[in-house]
Amino acid sequence: MLTLERISKTYAGAVHALEGVTLGVELGEIVAIVGGSGCGKSTLLRIVAGLDRPSAGRVLLDGAEVTGPHEEIGIVFQEPRLFPWLTVSENVGFGLADRHRADRERIVADALARVGLAEKAGAWPRQLSGGQAQRAAIARSLVTRPEVLLLDEPFSALDAFTRIDLQDHLLELWADTSPKPTLIVVTHDVEEAVALADRIVVMRPHPGRTQAEIAVRLPRPRDRQSRAFEDVKRDVLATLNTSLVRAAAE
Amino acid sequence: MTTVASPIAGNLVTEPGRPRSPGWLRSGRWSGFLVGLALPVAVALGWEAVVALGWNSGRLLPPPSVILRTFAALAENGALAQHAWATLWRVAAGFALGVAAGTLLGALTGYSLVANRVLDPTLQALRAIPSIAWVPLFILWLGIFEASKVALIAVGVFFPVYLGLMGAILSVDRKIVEVGRVFRLSGPAMVRRILLPAVLPAYVTSLRAGLGLGWMFVVAAEFMGASVGLGYLLVDGQQLGKPAQIVAAIIAFAILGKATDSLLGAATAPLLRWEVGFGARR
Repeated sequence: MLTLERISKTYAGAVHALEGVTLGVELGEIVAIVGGSGCGKSTLLRIVAGLDRPSAGRVLLDGAEVTGPHEEIGIVFQEPRLFPWLTVSENVGFGLADRHRADRERIVADALARVGLAEKAGAWPRQLSGGQAQRAAIARSLVTRPEVLLLDEPFSALDAFTRIDLQDHLLELWADTSPKPTLIVVTHDVEEAVALADRIVVMRPHPGRTQAEIAVRLPRPRDRQSRAFEDVKRDVLATLNTSLVRAAAE
Repeated sequence: MTTVASPIAGNLVTEPGRPRSPGWLRSGRWSGFLVGLALPVAVALGWEAVVALGWNSGRLLPPPSVILRTFAALAENGALAQHAWATLWRVAAGFALGVAAGTLLGALTGYSLVANRVLDPTLQALRAIPSIAWVPLFILWLGIFEASKVALIAVGVFFPVYLGLMGAILSVDRKIVEVGRVFRLSGPAMVRRILLPAVLPAYVTSLRAGLGLGWMFVVAAEFMGASVGLGYLLVDGQQLGKPAQIVAAIIAFAILGKATDSLLGAATAPLLRWEVGFGARR
Protein backbone atom coordinates (compact mmCIF):
# COMPACT_ATOMS: atom_id res chain seq x y z
CA MET A 1 0.00 0.00 0.00
CA LEU A 2 1.34 3.37 -1.10
CA THR A 3 0.13 6.44 0.77
CA LEU A 4 0.68 10.09 -0.08
CA GLU A 5 -0.07 12.31 2.92
CA ARG A 6 -0.78 16.00 2.26
CA ILE A 7 2.13 16.41 -0.16
CA SER A 8 3.08 20.02 -0.85
CA LYS A 9 5.94 21.34 -2.92
CA THR A 10 7.15 24.89 -3.16
CA TYR A 11 10.21 25.64 -5.24
CA ALA A 12 12.72 28.33 -4.45
CA GLY A 13 11.35 31.50 -6.02
CA ALA A 14 7.97 30.70 -4.45
CA VAL A 15 6.61 28.59 -7.30
CA HIS A 16 3.79 26.71 -5.63
CA ALA A 17 3.73 23.39 -7.48
CA LEU A 18 1.67 21.16 -5.17
CA GLU A 19 -0.70 21.83 -2.30
CA GLY A 20 -1.85 19.11 0.10
CA VAL A 21 -2.19 16.14 -2.24
CA THR A 22 -3.42 13.01 -0.46
CA LEU A 23 -3.78 9.67 -2.20
CA GLY A 24 -3.87 6.01 -1.19
CA VAL A 25 -3.07 3.29 -3.71
CA GLU A 26 -3.59 -0.42 -3.06
CA LEU A 27 -1.04 -3.02 -4.11
CA GLY A 28 -1.78 -4.10 -7.69
CA GLU A 29 -3.99 -1.12 -8.41
CA ILE A 30 -3.53 1.00 -11.54
CA VAL A 31 -4.00 4.72 -10.96
CA ALA A 32 -3.79 7.35 -13.69
CA ILE A 33 -3.09 10.97 -12.86
CA VAL A 34 -4.36 13.43 -15.46
CA GLY A 35 -4.33 17.18 -15.54
CA GLY A 36 -3.38 20.19 -17.61
CA SER A 37 0.17 21.44 -17.78
CA GLY A 38 1.39 23.08 -14.59
CA CYS A 39 -0.78 20.96 -12.29
CA GLY A 40 2.33 19.38 -10.78
CA LYS A 41 1.58 15.82 -11.81
CA SER A 42 5.15 15.09 -12.85
CA THR A 43 6.46 16.76 -9.70
CA LEU A 44 4.20 14.49 -7.66
CA LEU A 45 5.58 11.42 -9.41
CA ARG A 46 9.18 12.55 -8.85
CA ILE A 47 8.44 12.95 -5.15
CA VAL A 48 7.02 9.42 -4.96
CA ALA A 49 10.12 8.16 -6.81
CA GLY A 50 12.30 9.83 -4.18
CA LEU A 51 13.99 12.05 -6.77
CA ASP A 52 12.57 15.22 -5.22
CA ARG A 53 11.70 15.93 -1.59
CA PRO A 54 8.29 17.35 -0.68
CA SER A 55 8.20 20.70 1.15
CA ALA A 56 5.56 19.24 3.46
CA GLY A 57 3.80 15.92 3.84
CA ARG A 58 5.20 12.43 3.32
CA VAL A 59 5.13 9.35 1.15
CA LEU A 60 4.63 6.00 2.88
CA LEU A 61 5.22 2.58 1.36
CA ASP A 62 3.74 -0.19 3.52
CA GLY A 63 3.88 2.17 6.49
CA ALA A 64 7.52 3.23 6.11
CA GLU A 65 8.41 6.72 4.93
CA VAL A 66 10.07 7.02 1.53
CA THR A 67 12.91 9.54 1.75
CA GLY A 68 14.83 8.77 -1.44
CA PRO A 69 14.99 6.32 -4.32
CA HIS A 70 13.57 3.03 -3.04
CA GLU A 71 14.24 -0.49 -4.25
CA GLU A 72 10.52 -1.27 -4.32
CA ILE A 73 9.69 1.81 -6.45
CA GLY A 74 10.70 1.90 -10.11
CA ILE A 75 10.11 4.66 -12.64
CA VAL A 76 9.80 4.86 -16.42
CA PHE A 77 10.35 8.33 -17.85
CA GLN A 78 8.92 9.98 -20.94
CA GLU A 79 12.22 9.29 -22.74
CA PRO A 80 13.62 5.75 -22.57
CA ARG A 81 16.86 7.01 -20.99
CA LEU A 82 18.74 3.86 -21.96
CA PHE A 83 22.51 3.93 -21.48
CA PRO A 84 23.89 4.33 -25.01
CA TRP A 85 27.14 2.50 -24.12
CA LEU A 86 25.37 -0.66 -22.99
CA THR A 87 23.67 -3.22 -25.20
CA VAL A 88 19.94 -3.71 -24.82
CA SER A 89 20.39 -6.74 -22.56
CA GLU A 90 23.02 -4.95 -20.44
CA ASN A 91 20.60 -2.05 -20.07
CA VAL A 92 17.78 -4.32 -18.96
CA GLY A 93 20.09 -6.04 -16.47
CA PHE A 94 21.43 -2.74 -15.07
CA GLY A 95 19.63 -3.05 -11.75
CA LEU A 96 20.76 -6.64 -11.23
CA ALA A 97 24.48 -5.96 -10.82
CA ASP A 98 24.61 -7.71 -7.47
CA ARG A 99 23.15 -10.96 -8.84
CA HIS A 100 25.20 -13.87 -10.10
CA ARG A 101 25.97 -13.64 -13.78
CA ALA A 102 23.99 -16.74 -14.76
CA ASP A 103 21.08 -15.61 -12.65
CA ARG A 104 21.14 -12.18 -14.23
CA GLU A 105 21.35 -13.51 -17.77
CA ARG A 106 18.38 -15.78 -17.20
CA ILE A 107 16.23 -12.98 -15.76
CA VAL A 108 17.22 -10.57 -18.54
CA ALA A 109 16.56 -13.10 -21.31
CA ASP A 110 13.17 -13.79 -19.77
CA ALA A 111 12.35 -10.08 -19.49
CA LEU A 112 13.43 -9.39 -23.08
CA ALA A 113 11.28 -12.24 -24.32
CA ARG A 114 8.31 -10.84 -22.42
CA VAL A 115 8.64 -7.41 -24.01
CA GLY A 116 9.25 -8.94 -27.45
CA LEU A 117 12.86 -7.83 -27.77
CA ALA A 118 14.58 -11.21 -27.58
CA GLU A 119 16.38 -10.79 -30.89
CA LYS A 120 17.52 -7.26 -29.98
CA ALA A 121 19.47 -8.44 -26.92
CA GLY A 122 22.87 -7.62 -28.44
CA ALA A 123 21.79 -4.43 -30.21
CA TRP A 124 22.80 -0.90 -29.17
CA PRO A 125 20.01 1.40 -27.98
CA ARG A 126 20.49 3.67 -31.00
CA GLN A 127 19.45 0.76 -33.22
CA LEU A 128 16.01 0.56 -31.60
CA SER A 129 12.83 2.32 -32.69
CA GLY A 130 11.11 4.64 -30.21
CA GLY A 131 8.62 1.96 -29.19
CA GLN A 132 11.30 -0.73 -28.80
CA ALA A 133 13.45 1.59 -26.69
CA GLN A 134 10.52 2.30 -24.37
CA ARG A 135 9.82 -1.44 -24.08
CA ALA A 136 13.44 -1.94 -23.06
CA ALA A 137 13.09 0.86 -20.50
CA ILE A 138 9.98 -0.79 -19.04
CA ALA A 139 11.79 -4.13 -18.91
CA ARG A 140 14.73 -2.46 -17.12
CA SER A 141 12.37 -1.10 -14.45
CA LEU A 142 10.51 -4.36 -14.02
CA VAL A 143 13.40 -6.87 -13.73
CA THR A 144 14.01 -5.86 -10.13
CA ARG A 145 10.32 -6.67 -9.46
CA PRO A 146 9.37 -3.44 -7.70
CA GLU A 147 6.11 -3.22 -5.78
CA VAL A 148 5.33 0.12 -7.41
CA LEU A 149 6.07 1.20 -10.97
CA LEU A 150 5.70 4.90 -11.76
CA LEU A 151 5.29 5.95 -15.39
CA ASP A 152 5.74 9.62 -16.33
CA GLU A 153 3.93 10.19 -19.65
CA PRO A 154 5.63 7.01 -20.86
CA PHE A 155 4.10 6.83 -24.33
CA SER A 156 3.56 10.49 -25.19
CA ALA A 157 6.54 10.63 -27.56
CA LEU A 158 5.29 7.68 -29.62
CA ASP A 159 3.00 7.58 -32.64
CA ALA A 160 -0.67 6.67 -32.08
CA PHE A 161 -0.42 3.01 -33.16
CA THR A 162 2.71 2.29 -31.16
CA ARG A 163 1.16 4.05 -28.17
CA ILE A 164 -1.94 1.81 -28.14
CA ASP A 165 0.25 -1.24 -28.71
CA LEU A 166 2.43 -0.36 -25.72
CA GLN A 167 -0.54 0.43 -23.48
CA ASP A 168 -1.95 -3.04 -24.16
CA HIS A 169 1.49 -4.50 -23.66
CA LEU A 170 1.94 -2.79 -20.31
CA LEU A 171 -1.39 -4.24 -19.16
CA GLU A 172 -0.28 -7.74 -20.23
CA LEU A 173 2.97 -7.39 -18.29
CA TRP A 174 1.04 -6.16 -15.26
CA ALA A 175 -1.49 -9.00 -15.45
CA ASP A 176 1.23 -11.68 -15.94
CA THR A 177 3.18 -10.64 -12.87
CA SER A 178 2.26 -12.05 -9.52
CA PRO A 179 1.76 -10.35 -7.23
CA LYS A 180 0.65 -7.60 -9.59
CA PRO A 181 2.66 -4.40 -9.18
CA THR A 182 1.04 -1.07 -8.42
CA LEU A 183 1.14 1.20 -11.47
CA ILE A 184 0.85 4.99 -11.28
CA VAL A 185 0.68 6.55 -14.73
CA VAL A 186 0.93 10.28 -15.24
CA THR A 187 -0.56 11.25 -18.59
CA HIS A 188 -2.30 14.05 -20.42
CA ASP A 189 -3.96 11.55 -22.73
CA VAL A 190 -7.46 10.89 -21.37
CA GLU A 191 -7.98 7.82 -23.54
CA GLU A 192 -4.74 6.35 -22.18
CA ALA A 193 -5.95 6.96 -18.64
CA VAL A 194 -9.31 5.26 -19.29
CA ALA A 195 -7.67 2.34 -21.10
CA LEU A 196 -5.21 1.64 -18.29
CA ALA A 197 -6.54 2.74 -14.93
CA ASP A 198 -8.79 1.37 -12.20
CA ARG A 199 -9.01 4.90 -10.89
CA ILE A 200 -8.30 8.28 -12.44
CA VAL A 201 -7.13 11.20 -10.35
CA VAL A 202 -7.87 14.54 -12.01
CA MET A 203 -5.63 17.38 -10.84
CA ARG A 204 -6.01 21.11 -11.25
CA PRO A 205 -3.25 23.68 -11.47
CA HIS A 206 -1.90 26.72 -9.59
CA PRO A 207 -1.16 25.19 -7.17
CA GLY A 208 -1.51 21.52 -8.09
CA ARG A 209 -4.35 19.88 -6.16
CA THR A 210 -6.64 16.91 -6.51
CA GLN A 211 -9.83 17.95 -8.26
CA ALA A 212 -11.66 14.63 -8.38
CA GLU A 213 -11.21 10.88 -8.39
CA ILE A 214 -13.08 8.86 -10.98
CA ALA A 215 -13.36 5.07 -10.64
CA VAL A 216 -13.22 3.19 -13.95
CA ARG A 217 -15.42 0.12 -13.58
CA LEU A 218 -14.87 -1.37 -17.01
CA PRO A 219 -13.97 -5.04 -17.44
CA ARG A 220 -10.58 -5.88 -18.94
CA PRO A 221 -9.64 -6.15 -21.73
CA ARG A 222 -11.32 -2.87 -22.50
CA ASP A 223 -12.98 -2.10 -25.79
CA ARG A 224 -11.96 1.44 -26.75
CA GLN A 225 -14.88 1.66 -29.18
CA SER A 226 -17.56 0.72 -26.63
CA ARG A 227 -20.20 3.16 -25.38
CA ALA A 228 -19.16 2.63 -21.75
CA PHE A 229 -15.53 3.52 -22.59
CA GLU A 230 -16.67 6.69 -24.34
CA ASP A 231 -18.85 7.61 -21.35
CA VAL A 232 -15.94 7.41 -18.92
CA LYS A 233 -13.77 9.40 -21.31
CA ARG A 234 -16.41 12.13 -21.57
CA ASP A 235 -16.77 12.17 -17.80
CA VAL A 236 -13.02 12.63 -17.30
CA LEU A 237 -12.83 15.32 -19.98
CA ALA A 238 -15.71 17.22 -18.37
CA THR A 239 -14.00 17.10 -14.97
CA LEU A 240 -10.75 18.19 -16.54
CA ASN A 241 -12.46 21.15 -18.21
CA THR A 242 -14.08 22.20 -14.95
CA SER A 243 -10.69 22.05 -13.24
CA LEU A 244 -9.15 24.31 -15.86
CA VAL A 245 -12.05 26.76 -15.80
CA ARG A 246 -11.95 26.94 -12.02
CA ALA A 247 -8.21 27.43 -12.08
CA ALA A 248 -8.59 30.24 -14.58
CA ALA A 249 -11.35 31.89 -12.54
CA GLU A 250 -9.30 31.93 -9.33
CA MET B 1 18.95 8.89 -58.17
CA THR B 2 15.23 8.54 -58.48
CA THR B 3 13.43 8.62 -61.78
CA VAL B 4 9.85 9.72 -62.08
CA ALA B 5 7.63 8.62 -64.93
CA SER B 6 6.09 11.64 -66.59
CA PRO B 7 2.51 11.61 -67.79
CA ILE B 8 3.78 11.45 -71.36
CA ALA B 9 4.26 7.77 -72.14
CA GLY B 10 7.82 6.57 -72.43
CA ASN B 11 9.34 9.86 -71.34
CA LEU B 12 11.42 9.77 -68.17
CA VAL B 13 12.07 12.90 -66.18
CA THR B 14 15.26 12.70 -64.19
CA GLU B 15 15.53 14.68 -61.00
CA PRO B 16 17.83 17.66 -61.31
CA GLY B 17 20.79 17.57 -58.96
CA ARG B 18 24.53 17.46 -58.70
CA PRO B 19 26.30 16.30 -61.83
CA ARG B 20 27.08 12.59 -61.64
CA SER B 21 30.70 12.01 -60.67
CA PRO B 22 32.53 9.19 -62.42
CA GLY B 23 32.31 5.81 -60.72
CA TRP B 24 36.01 5.52 -59.84
CA LEU B 25 35.74 8.66 -57.68
CA ARG B 26 32.96 7.31 -55.52
CA SER B 27 33.38 3.62 -54.91
CA GLY B 28 35.37 1.91 -52.21
CA ARG B 29 37.70 2.86 -49.40
CA TRP B 30 40.91 2.00 -51.19
CA SER B 31 40.06 3.84 -54.35
CA GLY B 32 39.26 6.84 -52.13
CA PHE B 33 42.74 6.55 -50.63
CA LEU B 34 44.31 6.34 -54.08
CA VAL B 35 42.37 9.38 -55.29
CA GLY B 36 43.67 11.36 -52.32
CA LEU B 37 47.20 10.23 -53.13
CA ALA B 38 47.03 11.42 -56.73
CA LEU B 39 47.75 15.12 -56.10
CA PRO B 40 50.87 14.82 -53.89
CA VAL B 41 52.32 12.08 -56.14
CA ALA B 42 51.71 14.22 -59.24
CA VAL B 43 53.39 17.24 -57.62
CA ALA B 44 56.37 15.13 -56.52
CA LEU B 45 56.82 13.57 -59.95
CA GLY B 46 56.41 16.98 -61.56
CA TRP B 47 59.12 18.50 -59.38
CA GLU B 48 61.38 15.51 -60.03
CA ALA B 49 60.95 16.08 -63.77
CA VAL B 50 61.57 19.84 -63.48
CA VAL B 51 64.90 19.23 -61.71
CA ALA B 52 65.87 16.32 -63.99
CA LEU B 53 65.28 18.51 -67.06
CA GLY B 54 67.51 21.19 -65.56
CA TRP B 55 64.79 23.87 -65.37
CA ASN B 56 65.61 24.33 -61.68
CA SER B 57 68.69 23.37 -59.68
CA GLY B 58 66.60 21.93 -56.86
CA ARG B 59 69.08 23.32 -54.34
CA LEU B 60 66.50 24.98 -52.05
CA LEU B 61 63.84 22.33 -52.57
CA PRO B 62 65.51 19.02 -53.46
CA PRO B 63 63.60 16.61 -55.70
CA PRO B 64 61.97 13.56 -54.11
CA SER B 65 64.78 11.23 -55.17
CA VAL B 66 67.36 13.28 -53.23
CA ILE B 67 65.10 13.47 -50.17
CA LEU B 68 64.58 9.71 -50.37
CA ARG B 69 68.34 9.15 -50.57
CA THR B 70 68.93 11.43 -47.58
CA PHE B 71 66.20 9.61 -45.67
CA ALA B 72 67.75 6.25 -46.55
CA ALA B 73 71.24 7.41 -45.59
CA LEU B 74 70.01 8.72 -42.22
CA ALA B 75 68.13 5.49 -41.63
CA GLU B 76 71.09 3.33 -42.64
CA ASN B 77 73.66 4.76 -40.25
CA GLY B 78 71.15 4.61 -37.41
CA ALA B 79 71.02 8.39 -37.00
CA LEU B 80 67.35 8.59 -37.94
CA ALA B 81 66.33 5.98 -35.40
CA GLN B 82 68.40 7.69 -32.70
CA HIS B 83 66.84 11.10 -33.40
CA ALA B 84 63.34 9.66 -33.76
CA TRP B 85 63.63 7.78 -30.46
CA ALA B 86 64.83 10.89 -28.64
CA THR B 87 61.86 12.87 -29.94
CA LEU B 88 59.42 10.04 -29.34
CA TRP B 89 60.62 9.66 -25.76
CA ARG B 90 60.13 13.38 -25.07
CA VAL B 91 56.63 13.34 -26.52
CA ALA B 92 55.74 10.21 -24.57
CA ALA B 93 57.02 11.61 -21.27
CA GLY B 94 55.39 15.02 -21.82
CA PHE B 95 52.16 13.40 -22.96
CA ALA B 96 52.04 11.12 -19.93
CA LEU B 97 52.62 14.01 -17.52
CA GLY B 98 50.18 16.34 -19.30
CA VAL B 99 47.48 13.68 -19.48
CA ALA B 100 47.93 12.76 -15.82
CA ALA B 101 47.65 16.37 -14.66
CA GLY B 102 44.87 17.23 -17.11
CA THR B 103 42.85 14.17 -16.14
CA LEU B 104 43.26 14.76 -12.42
CA LEU B 105 42.35 18.45 -12.50
CA GLY B 106 39.71 18.05 -15.20
CA ALA B 107 37.98 15.32 -13.19
CA LEU B 108 38.18 17.42 -10.04
CA THR B 109 36.81 20.62 -11.54
CA GLY B 110 34.17 18.70 -13.47
CA TYR B 111 32.95 16.70 -10.49
CA SER B 112 33.18 19.21 -7.65
CA LEU B 113 31.62 22.63 -7.85
CA VAL B 114 33.93 23.93 -5.11
CA ALA B 115 37.05 22.73 -6.92
CA ASN B 116 35.70 24.31 -10.08
CA ARG B 117 35.19 27.70 -8.40
CA VAL B 118 38.66 27.60 -6.81
CA LEU B 119 40.81 26.13 -9.60
CA ASP B 120 39.22 26.88 -12.93
CA PRO B 121 39.72 30.69 -13.01
CA THR B 122 43.45 30.29 -12.32
CA LEU B 123 43.84 27.55 -14.91
CA GLN B 124 41.90 29.58 -17.50
CA ALA B 125 44.20 32.54 -16.80
CA LEU B 126 47.26 30.33 -17.27
CA ARG B 127 45.78 29.03 -20.50
CA ALA B 128 45.72 32.58 -21.85
CA ILE B 129 49.53 32.60 -21.77
CA PRO B 130 51.02 31.35 -25.06
CA SER B 131 52.74 28.17 -23.90
CA ILE B 132 56.01 28.99 -25.66
CA ALA B 133 56.32 32.00 -23.36
CA TRP B 134 57.14 29.56 -20.56
CA VAL B 135 60.34 28.46 -22.28
CA PRO B 136 62.78 30.93 -20.64
CA LEU B 137 61.34 30.25 -17.21
CA PHE B 138 61.43 26.48 -17.68
CA ILE B 139 65.07 26.71 -18.76
CA LEU B 140 65.92 28.77 -15.68
CA TRP B 141 64.09 26.37 -13.40
CA LEU B 142 64.78 23.03 -15.02
CA GLY B 143 67.97 23.54 -17.02
CA ILE B 144 68.48 23.20 -20.76
CA PHE B 145 68.31 19.43 -20.91
CA GLU B 146 65.40 17.02 -20.93
CA ALA B 147 63.33 18.27 -18.00
CA SER B 148 62.51 21.68 -19.47
CA LYS B 149 61.57 20.11 -22.82
CA VAL B 150 59.27 17.53 -21.26
CA ALA B 151 57.68 20.25 -19.10
CA LEU B 152 56.89 22.39 -22.14
CA ILE B 153 55.30 19.44 -23.96
CA ALA B 154 53.32 18.55 -20.84
CA VAL B 155 51.93 22.10 -20.66
CA GLY B 156 50.84 21.83 -24.28
CA VAL B 157 49.13 18.48 -23.69
CA PHE B 158 47.57 19.53 -20.38
CA PHE B 159 45.07 22.15 -21.57
CA PRO B 160 43.10 20.24 -24.19
CA VAL B 161 42.85 17.24 -21.86
CA TYR B 162 41.84 19.39 -18.88
CA LEU B 163 39.23 21.37 -20.82
CA GLY B 164 37.96 18.30 -22.66
CA LEU B 165 37.43 16.20 -19.54
CA MET B 166 35.96 19.01 -17.43
CA GLY B 167 33.56 19.96 -20.22
CA ALA B 168 32.59 16.33 -20.77
CA ILE B 169 31.79 15.77 -17.09
CA LEU B 170 29.83 19.02 -16.85
CA SER B 171 27.76 18.12 -19.90
CA VAL B 172 26.85 14.57 -18.85
CA ASP B 173 23.10 14.19 -19.38
CA ARG B 174 21.39 14.78 -16.01
CA LYS B 175 18.55 12.53 -17.11
CA ILE B 176 20.90 9.58 -17.42
CA VAL B 177 22.44 10.34 -14.03
CA GLU B 178 18.92 10.32 -12.61
CA VAL B 179 18.46 6.74 -13.79
CA GLY B 180 21.53 5.91 -11.72
CA ARG B 181 19.88 7.56 -8.71
CA VAL B 182 16.72 5.53 -9.25
CA PHE B 183 18.86 2.38 -9.11
CA ARG B 184 20.41 3.76 -5.91
CA LEU B 185 24.01 3.67 -7.13
CA SER B 186 26.64 4.66 -4.60
CA GLY B 187 29.03 7.51 -5.45
CA PRO B 188 31.82 5.26 -6.75
CA ALA B 189 29.34 3.09 -8.67
CA MET B 190 27.84 6.21 -10.23
CA VAL B 191 31.31 7.25 -11.41
CA ARG B 192 32.25 3.79 -12.70
CA ARG B 193 28.97 2.78 -14.29
CA ILE B 194 27.64 6.11 -15.59
CA LEU B 195 30.04 9.07 -15.52
CA LEU B 196 33.08 7.22 -16.87
CA PRO B 197 31.41 5.66 -19.91
CA ALA B 198 29.49 8.87 -20.58
CA VAL B 199 32.62 11.07 -20.75
CA LEU B 200 34.82 8.57 -22.57
CA PRO B 201 34.18 9.72 -26.18
CA ALA B 202 34.93 13.38 -25.41
CA TYR B 203 37.93 12.34 -23.29
CA VAL B 204 39.42 10.29 -26.12
CA THR B 205 38.94 13.22 -28.49
CA SER B 206 40.75 15.48 -26.03
CA LEU B 207 43.60 12.95 -25.70
CA ARG B 208 44.06 12.99 -29.45
CA ALA B 209 43.99 16.80 -29.51
CA GLY B 210 46.56 16.75 -26.68
CA LEU B 211 48.79 14.36 -28.57
CA GLY B 212 48.67 16.63 -31.61
CA LEU B 213 49.78 19.58 -29.49
CA GLY B 214 52.47 17.38 -27.92
CA TRP B 215 54.01 16.85 -31.36
CA MET B 216 53.78 20.58 -32.05
CA PHE B 217 55.50 21.48 -28.82
CA VAL B 218 58.28 18.93 -29.13
CA VAL B 219 59.49 20.84 -32.18
CA ALA B 220 59.50 24.09 -30.20
CA ALA B 221 61.24 22.34 -27.32
CA GLU B 222 63.95 20.91 -29.57
CA PHE B 223 64.45 24.28 -31.25
CA MET B 224 65.46 25.72 -27.89
CA GLY B 225 68.63 23.70 -27.89
CA ALA B 226 68.98 19.99 -28.38
CA SER B 227 71.83 17.80 -29.54
CA VAL B 228 69.56 14.98 -30.59
CA GLY B 229 66.02 14.66 -31.89
CA LEU B 230 64.11 15.30 -35.09
CA GLY B 231 63.86 18.97 -34.16
CA TYR B 232 67.65 19.04 -33.92
CA LEU B 233 67.79 17.63 -37.48
CA LEU B 234 65.63 20.57 -38.57
CA VAL B 235 67.88 23.18 -36.93
CA ASP B 236 71.03 21.43 -38.11
CA GLY B 237 69.68 21.26 -41.65
CA GLN B 238 68.94 24.96 -41.61
CA GLN B 239 72.31 26.01 -40.19
CA LEU B 240 74.34 23.82 -42.53
CA GLY B 241 72.13 24.44 -45.57
CA LYS B 242 70.83 20.89 -46.00
CA PRO B 243 67.21 21.26 -47.15
CA ALA B 244 66.94 17.54 -47.94
CA GLN B 245 67.64 16.76 -44.28
CA ILE B 246 64.96 19.27 -43.20
CA VAL B 247 62.34 17.73 -45.45
CA ALA B 248 63.38 14.21 -44.35
CA ALA B 249 62.90 15.24 -40.71
CA ILE B 250 59.53 16.79 -41.55
CA ILE B 251 58.44 13.54 -43.18
CA ALA B 252 59.61 11.60 -40.12
CA PHE B 253 57.51 13.93 -37.93
CA ALA B 254 54.48 13.36 -40.13
CA ILE B 255 54.87 9.59 -40.06
CA LEU B 256 55.37 9.44 -36.28
CA GLY B 257 52.53 11.88 -35.57
CA LYS B 258 50.11 9.96 -37.73
CA ALA B 259 51.28 6.59 -36.37
CA THR B 260 50.90 7.57 -32.70
CA ASP B 261 47.47 9.11 -33.37
CA SER B 262 46.32 5.96 -35.17
CA LEU B 263 47.67 3.86 -32.31
CA LEU B 264 45.72 5.92 -29.78
CA GLY B 265 42.63 5.68 -31.97
CA ALA B 266 42.96 1.93 -32.33
CA ALA B 267 43.62 1.44 -28.61
CA THR B 268 40.46 3.31 -27.64
CA ALA B 269 38.17 2.12 -30.45
CA PRO B 270 36.99 -1.02 -28.60
CA LEU B 271 35.73 1.22 -25.77
CA LEU B 272 33.69 3.35 -28.15
CA ARG B 273 32.00 0.70 -30.28
CA TRP B 274 28.59 2.02 -29.18
CA GLU B 275 29.17 5.52 -30.48
CA VAL B 276 27.03 6.59 -33.41
CA GLY B 277 28.99 6.46 -36.62
CA PHE B 278 32.29 5.58 -35.01
CA GLY B 279 32.68 2.46 -37.11
CA ALA B 280 31.45 4.25 -40.19
CA ARG B 281 33.98 7.05 -39.96
CA ARG B 282 37.05 4.89 -40.48
